[in-house]
Amino acid sequence: MSITSPGVLFVVSILAGFIGAMSGMGGGIVLIPALTLFGVNIKHAIAISIVSVIATSSGAASAYVRDGVTNLKVGMFLEMFTILGAIIGATVTLVSSDQPLFIAFGIVLLISWGTLFIRKHHLTNYLLPADRFSRWLELRGAYYDHAEHQEIEYQGRRAWLGGPCMFGAGFIAGLLGIGAGALKVLILDLAMGLPPKVSTTTSNLIIGVTALAGTSIYIAAGYVDPGLVAPVIVGVVAGAFVGTRLLKRLSNHAIRQFFLVVLLALGVEMILRGLGVIA
Amino acid sequence: MKPKHAPHTDPTPMPARAKLEREARQEHEMELLVGYLLLSGVLLSILLVVTGMAWEYVKTGSLHLNYLIAGMNFFQFLVGDLRAILTPSLIGPRAFVNLAIAALLFTPYIRVVSSMVFFAAAEKNWKYTAFTAFVGVVLTYSLFLR
Repeated sequence: MSITSPGVLFVVSILAGFIGAMSGMGGGIVLIPALTLFGVNIKHAIAISIVSVIATSSGAASAYVRDGVTNLKVGMFLEMFTILGAIIGATVTLVSSDQPLFIAFGIVLLISWGTLFIRKHHLTNYLLPADRFSRWLELRGAYYDHAEHQEIEYQGRRAWLGGPCMFGAGFIAGLLGIGAGALKVLILDLAMGLPPKVSTTTSNLIIGVTALAGTSIYIAAGYVDPGLVAPVIVGVVAGAFVGTRLLKRLSNHAIRQFFLVVLLALGVEMILRGLGVIA
Repeated sequence: MKPKHAPHTDPTPMPARAKLEREARQEHEMELLVGYLLLSGVLLSILLVVTGMAWEYVKTGSLHLNYLIAGMNFFQFLVGDLRAILTPSLIGPRAFVNLAIAALLFTPYIRVVSSMVFFAAAEKNWKYTAFTAFVGVVLTYSLFLR
């Protein structure tokens, strides 16, 4: 771990936070491959990343929650499932060998990458009739959409399906030290029928608590190295901050496309390393 | 094609309406509480990390703090760190970086606990008090692991 000087870590983390925000996939998914390229052991990289995920998700969630777009009830119901998944996922990582983690990471990266293309506006009516369980859970909500200049009302549906799926997303988050935001958004969108903005912001809220559940396992196992965590937290948050602000202004998607290619390359690279094709 | 969000008239009678409005207001109060809690936790943590690293740099000329947190659970870690912060001979860069990590970890934790109190005390929503309590208990348990 000698090549990971705090200066290098700091720069890598800024880039990871920046690319994560620009591509909409979060910092961890770039940070972990980057750290392993710099010689950090993958389990340590996962532990460092999951701590930084708490910072980026809480920072982003604070603004979204105050805007009133996040659905707190949906978030708090689903957290029950994600934290259990995260604890089990992190425990599996501790006992696993390194190679399967590389492969799993590469696969999740590629799947998350793929979801960015299938995610289209598939619903125009968010008030479809819901099952009894979802109504009992009070998953109805509304927010003011500033882009469309109107109040959007919606009814969360199929909570019975969303809960178990979220256990899976939490498992991946704990296992690989990432937010797994792409998967969470997909569940909120497709399974529970929430409007895209509600899905994205509510996923962000859930990510922080999920990451904390995983972090506690990595701390207990002694994988959290404060000397490495310190520059990474600052770097990722700074990078994400700049990335988010820049994202609002960019109308052309060329840069975003470029980062998506970077993510694709990272996914393939992780799988090849896991298979032992490249060192 | 379904009509895009058809305009609707609100048939809700007045007393029920007042109840809905009260609920919306409470919900907004909770959003503000949660939002500011998260924001202050992250800012505090960043401030502490930067302080700790700057101190280390002034002291040693390097930004690298080389140590591991091992053999203790989060609460032991926190107690040890608070002791270090309050003891003049132990206070230093490490104490600040540790406190930053503790503040960061506590941010979502306090968010869950305060949401639980809010659901119980302000909204009297027992369903969601129970849900957040479950999350709180699991998190507390996991932070006690070692």
